[in-house]
Amino acid sequence: MRTPRPAPNVVLLILALVGLTAWLGLESVSVAANRIVPGTGYRVVEVIGGGALLVTTLPWLALAGLAWRPSRTRFIVALVIVVLMLSALPAWLALSAAMLVEGGQARLGIAAGLWVVFFLLLLAMIELRTRLALSRLVGWALLLPPVAIVGLGVARWLSALALWQEYRSRSDQFLGALGEHLLLVGAAVGASLVLGVGLALAMRRWPGLQRVGFGVLNFLQTIPSIALFGLLLAPLAWLSAQVGWLAALGVSGIGWAPALLALVGYSLLPMVRNTFVALEAVDPGVIDAARGMGMSRSQVFRQVRLPLALPVILEGIRITTVQAIGLTAVAALIGAGGLGTFIFQGLGQAAMDLVLLGALPILVLALLVDALLGALTDILRPGVAE
Amino acid sequence: MIDLIHVTKRFGAATAVDDISLSVAQGELCVLVGTSGCGKSTTLRMINRLIEHSEGEIHIDGQQIRRFREQTLRRRMGYAIQSTGLFPHWTVARNIGLVPRLLKWPAARVQARVEELMALLGLSMEAFAGKYPHQLSGGQAQRVGVARALAADPDILLMDEPFGALDPITRESLQDELRTLQARLHKTIVFVTHDMDEALRLADRLVVMHQGRIVQQGRPLELLREPADGFVESLLGGEDRGLKEAALLPVSQRMLPLGPRLLARERIGQQASLREALSLMLWRHAERLTVVDDDDLPVGELSLRRLVGARSDG
Ligand SMILES: Nc1ncnc2c1ncn2[C@@H]1O[C@H](COP(=O)(O)OP(=O)(O)OP(=O)(O)O)[C@@H](O)[C@H]1O
Ligand SMILES: [Mg+2]
Repeated sequence: MRTPRPAPNVVLLILALVGLTAWLGLESVSVAANRIVPGTGYRVVEVIGGGALLVTTLPWLALAGLAWRPSRTRFIVALVIVVLMLSALPAWLALSAAMLVEGGQARLGIAAGLWVVFFLLLLAMIELRTRLALSRLVGWALLLPPVAIVGLGVARWLSALALWQEYRSRSDQFLGALGEHLLLVGAAVGASLVLGVGLALAMRRWPGLQRVGFGVLNFLQTIPSIALFGLLLAPLAWLSAQVGWLAALGVSGIGWAPALLALVGYSLLPMVRNTFVALEAVDPGVIDAARGMGMSRSQVFRQVRLPLALPVILEGIRITTVQAIGLTAVAALIGAGGLGTFIFQGLGQAAMDLVLLGALPILVLALLVDALLGALTDILRPGVAE
Repeated sequence: MIDLIHVTKRFGAATAVDDISLSVAQGELCVLVGTSGCGKSTTLRMINRLIEHSEGEIHIDGQQIRRFREQTLRRRMGYAIQSTGLFPHWTVARNIGLVPRLLKWPAARVQARVEELMALLGLSMEAFAGKYPHQLSGGQAQRVGVARALAADPDILLMDEPFGALDPITRESLQDELRTLQARLHKTIVFVTHDMDEALRLADRLVVMHQGRIVQQGRPLELLREPADGFVESLLGGEDRGLKEAALLPVSQRMLPLGPRLLARERIGQQASLREALSLMLWRHAERLTVVDDDDLPVGELSLRRLVGARSDG
């Protein structure tokens, strides 16, 4: 009996072909004489010439071939190829730097083509991870080799990379900004967690509060962030002028105080909503049985309602944290510090690599938090821990 | 022993339970039936104070239930409901051990009790102890629910449509198990159901409720033979009452000793119901059946005349 041929994996096939096109056709890297002047773009062929170019097309073609007649083994091979290609990207940058960059001032930028290739390879990795039914954790582990290569190579071979130069010229500032960013996010999420859970509990206790509470929180959520920062400026400035110890604490119309207030304001809605819904949604039959068996009110809450609500509450914390990481970037506008500072400085100086120095870590932070809390939620989902 | 004395429950202006009096003796299985919304669950839940009664008195073993702390009272009573109410984040074993743990039994005793109950309800330890409720079938989950209700060996069991969500076959087998259990354990049970066959099979005392009142109570056969009014009559099966009654009577009650005649070809067990006997006669076109004991030895015979006309036939 002949087994029917498996249908091609269209997703992987398209990713491979588009990736190849981007690799061949788009500018991969750029070189600028200094940080202000716009760089000149180079396609791959202009860096290494036609013969070598042909060699670099091989892994793409291999991917497409594997996707054409897929099987589990072929998917594993494809995954290995993708991880190797991702790991090779830093090496490609180092090679380009060696070929193109001359002189101390000149710097290497990452151009559109390479970004596209990078994201397509990430997508291919996600697709393969899903097909092979690998866990989230394994997915993250697969990113380790490329990250390790960047870590090893960055100081020695990638010194010409514009992003690296921007970092090196302000590495103390960078660590400070990262710290401020994390501190603001942590404080905002922590405060809104305490307040939000308290508010959700109060709303369950006194249902009359629900309409007013959600009304106010929804309204807060609709104010654009810049406007909210602006709105807080006057009252806080006034307060710190009136109350001596507040001023001593560093509270003023600009800086961390209004930023924290606004962040908490935005964080409350997702926090309260998820906590409230999670606690309300617990199966009434389970609660009825718990009370009928003779559990006290606090036992019902601590042993039944809360644990069953926890995954949804964590979901709220996840949404809130990811949102706060992004919003904190905007808070740099009112002098709250954080990674947003680089973004706005870079925008002001038209230095895109400086913008990236702020934006990339924010993206990575958000992804990390998303993945970690997502995994935690999965673990805590009732009855699946085995 | 449970006594309800002129008990009334009002929700705002609406009266859910209206001046009912009911006495359930030690070891008795009392079934509440009635149309939806007539106050069965409310009555049941007043007994363990999940709902506080508005008027009247409820006594357990002669003591007012309001004398007890709510938790103490509830831990003395088993409680099983249609949705099982098993905790989804706890394993089967942990669910069953809930009340013993609330009562602060030592861990070893809880463990031993859980094993005992799982054996009693036909749930093997290896297969089920570590499972979570969502991994069980409806029938298995319901068994776990009953095991949990029995865990601290309460004198009283309150069961609100415990088998309501099951298919007829699983439901019947659980009913049989409950009867077997009851024969051994002699609990005082209040059982709510919508299913009249279930009520008639299980009840020592059958209580018919209508619009918050008790219309009639007594032994199932009494209610079948002398319904108080048209409502009870139609609730208990209307046209089908004869068959329902036959289902409650065993063949052994109507059979005659073996006579000089040849044995009839069709056989029926002496524990089978008259209803099953009638069905067999209809199916096989037979007017006589040979009645056999558990070892399949003939012990008597049953004629159609005898089956249907026993009261006049000699
Ligand atoms: N907490 C409550 N608040 C207000 N009314 C209630 C409450 N609980 C029950 N009722 C009302 O009391 C009446 C009796 O309800 P109950 O639940 O006892 O009915 P039931 O006989 O168990 O019905 P079913 O067979 O459908 O379960 C119904 O009219 C119901 O609407
Ligand atoms: Mg009910």
